[in-house]
Formats: sequence, C-alpha cells, structure tokens
Amino acid sequence: MTQNPVHKTFFLLRAHSKINYQFCKLISLAGKAWNQRHIEICRVFTTQSGRMNRLAKCKVIFEWALSLLVLCFVLSSPKIAVAADIGNCLLCHKYPGLSRIEGDKGIFRLLYVNEKTFNSSMHAKVKCEGCHTDIKKIPHDPAKKVDCLTQCHIIEPSSEQKFSHKDVAQFLENSVHGKLDETKQLKKFPEDRPTCKKCHDNPLYRPVSLNKTMMPGISDQSIGRCRVCHKKDEFIYRFYNHVTTRLRRSRNPKNITEVCIRCHDDINLVKRHGMSIKAVATYKESFHGKAAEFLDERIPDCLDCHVNRGESVHQMLSAKNTLSSTHENNKYKTCSNIECHPKATPRLAQFKVHAEFSKTQDPKRYYFESAFIILTGGTLLPLLGIMLLDSIRRLFPTLSRRRKK
Amino acid sequence: MKRHIKIVNDKKYFFRFTVNQRIQHVILASLVMILVLTGMPLKFHDTFWAPYLYNLVGGITIAPIIHRMAGTVLLCLFVYHVIYMVTVIYKGQIVPLKNKKGLSLVKLVKLLINQPLIPNLKDAKDILSLIKYLFFMTGEHPEGARFTWKEKFDYWAPFWGIAIIGMTGLIMWNEEAASMFLTGEIINYALIAHSDEALLAALFLFIWHWYNVHYSLSVFPMGTVFITGYLSEELMVEEHYEYYVEMMTKEGYKDQILPPLGYDKGESETTKELF
Repeated sequence: MTQNPVHKTFFLLRAHSKINYQFCKLISLAGKAWNQRHIEICRVFTTQSGRMNRLAKCKVIFEWALSLLVLCFVLSSPKIAVAADIGNCLLCHKYPGLSRIEGDKGIFRLLYVNEKTFNSSMHAKVKCEGCHTDIKKIPHDPAKKVDCLTQCHIIEPSSEQKFSHKDVAQFLENSVHGKLDETKQLKKFPEDRPTCKKCHDNPLYRPVSLNKTMMPGISDQSIGRCRVCHKKDEFIYRFYNHVTTRLRRSRNPKNITEVCIRCHDDINLVKRHGMSIKAVATYKESFHGKAAEFLDERIPDCLDCHVNRGESVHQMLSAKNTLSSTHENNKYKTCSNIECHPKATPRLAQFKVHAEFSKTQDPKRYYFESAFIILTGGTLLPLLGIMLLDSIRRLFPTLSRRRKK
Repeated sequence: MKRHIKIVNDKKYFFRFTVNQRIQHVILASLVMILVLTGMPLKFHDTFWAPYLYNLVGGITIAPIIHRMAGTVLLCLFVYHVIYMVTVIYKGQIVPLKNKKGLSLVKLVKLLINQPLIPNLKDAKDILSLIKYLFFMTGEHPEGARFTWKEKFDYWAPFWGIAIIGMTGLIMWNEEAASMFLTGEIINYALIAHSDEALLAALFLFIWHWYNVHYSLSVFPMGTVFITGYLSEELMVEEHYEYYVEMMTKEGYKDQILPPLGYDKGESETTKELF
C-alpha cells in the first residue's frame, strides 16, 4: 500500500485511540491528586468552630464538579480498537457522513463503516482487503461488489486451507433456490433466485446467555475459564463469541421471516413462479408466526420446517421433492421431531400452516370464517343500533306520536 | 318464604341475585377480562398497540400461561354453574312437583320451558314493542318479566361462548392429544372459531352488556345490582314492570305500585285508579 504524506499525517491521527488511552490514565491520576487536595482544603479552611467558611465551600464544590467532569470524560473515552484494519481504511471510512451519489440513477450510497459494530461482527477478523480484493491503493477507485466465494486470508482450522464460502454456494445451487434445474438447464426467471447477499449481511455476534445474570457472550465467569490456558484476551473474546454465537441462530425467528418476506410475499414474484400463497403473511397468522411476532425464540421459523434437521439451511428443497422436509410424506416427521410435537399422531401433519383466507384456495375454510364474520356482524350491528336509538329515546321519555290512553 | 322487597330509608329494593350467583358473576367477569387482555393482542398481532399491551400482561413467555390458567378456571366455573343450575331446578322445582302431583315427561318439559331464563314468545313481542318505542311510535315501554330478553341474551351468549371457546381452546392447547381423534385441519378451524367467537364475546360484553348495566342514562355511572344483589325501584319499574307488579302484589304493597315508564305526571293520577 502506497503512503503519501497526507496519508501519513492521518495515520498519526488514526492512532488517536492509543493517545486517548494514555491521556485518560493521566487524567485519572490527576483526579486522585485532586481528591487529596480536597481533604487538605477542608483542613485549612475549616474554622475552629468546626465549620467551613464560604470560600472553602465554594472551592470544595468547584473541585467536586471538576472531578465529576473528569470522571465523565474517562468513562466516555473510546476503548482501544481491535479491528483488523491493517490497510488503514477507517482513516476515511470512520466518518459517519461518508457517502456519495452513484451512477445515472443517482443511487445514494453510505460508505461509512461503524468500527464498533464491525468489530462485533463475524467478519471482524477478516481484513478489508480480504473481501475487497480489487482495492490496491489509497485513494482507491470505485470498488467492485464483494464476491463471497473469494478465498480470504482466514485459515480454516479443521482443514488448514484458506477459507471460502464455495461449499455453501454449492448447497445453494442444489437447493430449490438454485439457478439450474436437475438437467443443468437454466430455470425460469433466474434473476429472481437469491444469491448470498440477498439474504445475508455481515451478521453481528449474538452469543447465548444461559441465565439472566449472565450477559450474552461476555460473562467474566466463563472468560476466566478460558484464561486458564489462553493468553491473549482479544483471541479469547473473539473465539468465545464465535462459538457461543453458533450455538443458536444469529437471527431470531422474526428476523428470518423478514428475510423470506422480501421475495415470498412479493405478489408479482409469487405469481411469476406459480406459488399459491404469500408464505410469510400466512405464517404470521399461524400460532408459530404470532409467537415469532412477539419475539419468541422457542418456536419454529421458516427454516426449521423447510430444511431437514441437521442439514445446512442452504439445502432447502421444493415441497415436491421426495427428500424435502415439507413433502407430503415427510411432513409428519418434521412436525413430530423431539423438540416440537413428539407425541403427535400423523393426523397433526394435516394442519395447514400456510392457510389463506381465499375462496379459491380453500372454500371450506372460507365459508367457515365467513360464517363467523356474519355471526359477529349480525349480532353486534342490530344491538349497536338499539343502543344508539335507546340513548336518544331516553332523552325524550314522554315524546311519542301516540300516548298511552 | 323469602321476602323479595327490602325497604331501606323508605326506598324499596328488589331482590335479584343470591350471594352465590354474584360471586360466580364476579369470577366470570374478571376471568373474561384477563382472557381478553392476554388473548386479543395475539389476534391483532400486527397492530401498533399489540406489543405494548402484550408485554404489559406478561409477554410471550408469561401471557400464554396466564391465559391458559384463566381459561381452565373459567371452564371449571362453567361446569360448576351447570351443576348449580341443575341442582337448583331439581331441588327447588322438580322434587316438589314430584311430591305433589307425580312427574311425567310432559310436565317436566313444560317445567323446563317455563324456566325464567328460557327465551319465549313474550321476548319476541317485547323486542317488537321496544323497537316501536325506540322509534317514538308509542309511549309504552315493554313491560319486562323477571328476566328481560336483554338479560337472557347476556346469559346465553356467554354460555354458548364459553362452550365453543373453551372446547376449541382445549384442542389448541393439547394439539398432540387432539391429533389422536381429530385431523390437523380441525386445529385450523379451532383457531378461527376460538378467536372470532372471542372477539364477538368481548365486543358484546364490553359494549352491549356494559351499556345496559353501567352506561345507559338511567344507571350511569355504574349499576350496583351485581354487588348488592338488589335493584332499585325506578330501574325495576323501567325494565321489569310485569315482574314488579307481581312482586308488589305478592308482598302486600299493592297500593304503592308506581305507574310504568312513559307516563307524564298529569296522567299518572288517572292510571293509579286502574289498579
């Protein structure tokens, strides 16, 4: 990476976090000295009767205020950065307003990288250049879009090879979402088929917390056990986060529906591909969906039913495929798995998770629901009418066309 | 013989509900409110207020437990109420009838049909004359019997509601057990029936029932009969005139009977002579 003079100056500034740290240390030392002085002042200005005079009081208050200010400053000072920012990209990208209008369409693009957020993401340890391979110098030309199949600089510990998402891409290609069918022909509307970045962003670490008093992922109790063998704190934190995040989904069920909803509730796309229902809208009306809406994480989301247990979620198959977890013959196995409805009989699988209120889809259900709507309206509307008339009539109790004899 | 009219400070109060009935009612009312609060946010999960209300009543981990507990108690109350009604009718009416004249099927059916809470022809007539009255076509307010058609409605709507909602609720709660006798599709229908019927019940109770017993002009701000068990004379005249006259005659206050609703004071003097 070339380093011009301007760059060098900024590089110094970039190290501000370290300077800041030293500065804070100094100030906190100064704070201690002040405290000592405070006791002294009290002693000097206290009169013989044991009371402080006004000047002393003012001084004491002033010093307290000052030390409080210092304390605030110390607490709010940023921690030392741990990002793998070797290329010093944050030199420019740390500024929240960094953005530009791109192309003929005038698309607004925010180029700001929030360092704190990025550092708690799964890709924190990958260098910027690891994914943005086309950037070789600073300032750089407009960067190309990131290709997730790039071999990055991380060595995968089990195979000791450079890591790449190629295997995942292979799963996706063989799934219902792949662009090619069994005969290797391009499917209809290949542009609708999702690619990596259609569903994924750079996810944040989301470690489990096993009980209320343990903050997710940063329990000192657990970290202490890591320190027995591992020396570097930075490594411990990252590895701990990596493992505990993977013990559950990095997104809760509601987040998952928000991924699927983009395509599966798009009416045009649904029609184009001959799908019969809006998948997420109907899921949301079911028991599972309602619980997901209220952020329950114990209930199944899209992926729990549509992927065979223990397989990568990228291996999703069409319901027509006999190997699919949602195939007519396999549904029962999916519903009755040990974590869901283990005691259910095969009849339970006839439950319609994606039931839509539509005359053409399911006339029986349509008429059943209509009957209840009519019952509700038919009961309440006349009663509301009587209520309204009654409240008017009570205002004029003796007014009527015919009086009683 | 229990006296039905109590006089406090020269005002007459008419007996309506026993202590047992009042306690049943209070339990029912509070359970229904709990059930509505913990259930409706789920039906209206996509509205802006649903998450706030739902978290207020316990959120997704607690509210379903509260809902099921309240539902269980309500079903127990329902069973108790049915047993209570059967015992009251059996001990109070069927046994005396048996001892007196002997029991036959015709007599039994007749007795059951004539129960004060069973809807009858007079209710239909009362509704028609009420509509006439409401449209200012007549000054005569329908002269209600011991239980008016409104009260019968208030009784039978929750009765059928608890049966339907309770049953479907049990199915959805025990989906694994239910799948032994029912197909999964029935659970779809159970959800529709449960939530739609619950909405009907909630609107019916909180609008219609509360209007009649708390908000209407003659009882506002709050009717007290559900606490005290006794109804004041004005309300008795207004809603249950037929029963009022019957009770006054029976308990020896024939000369103090007030005129029915819809008379102005000039006319009331002449109507007194009618009785």
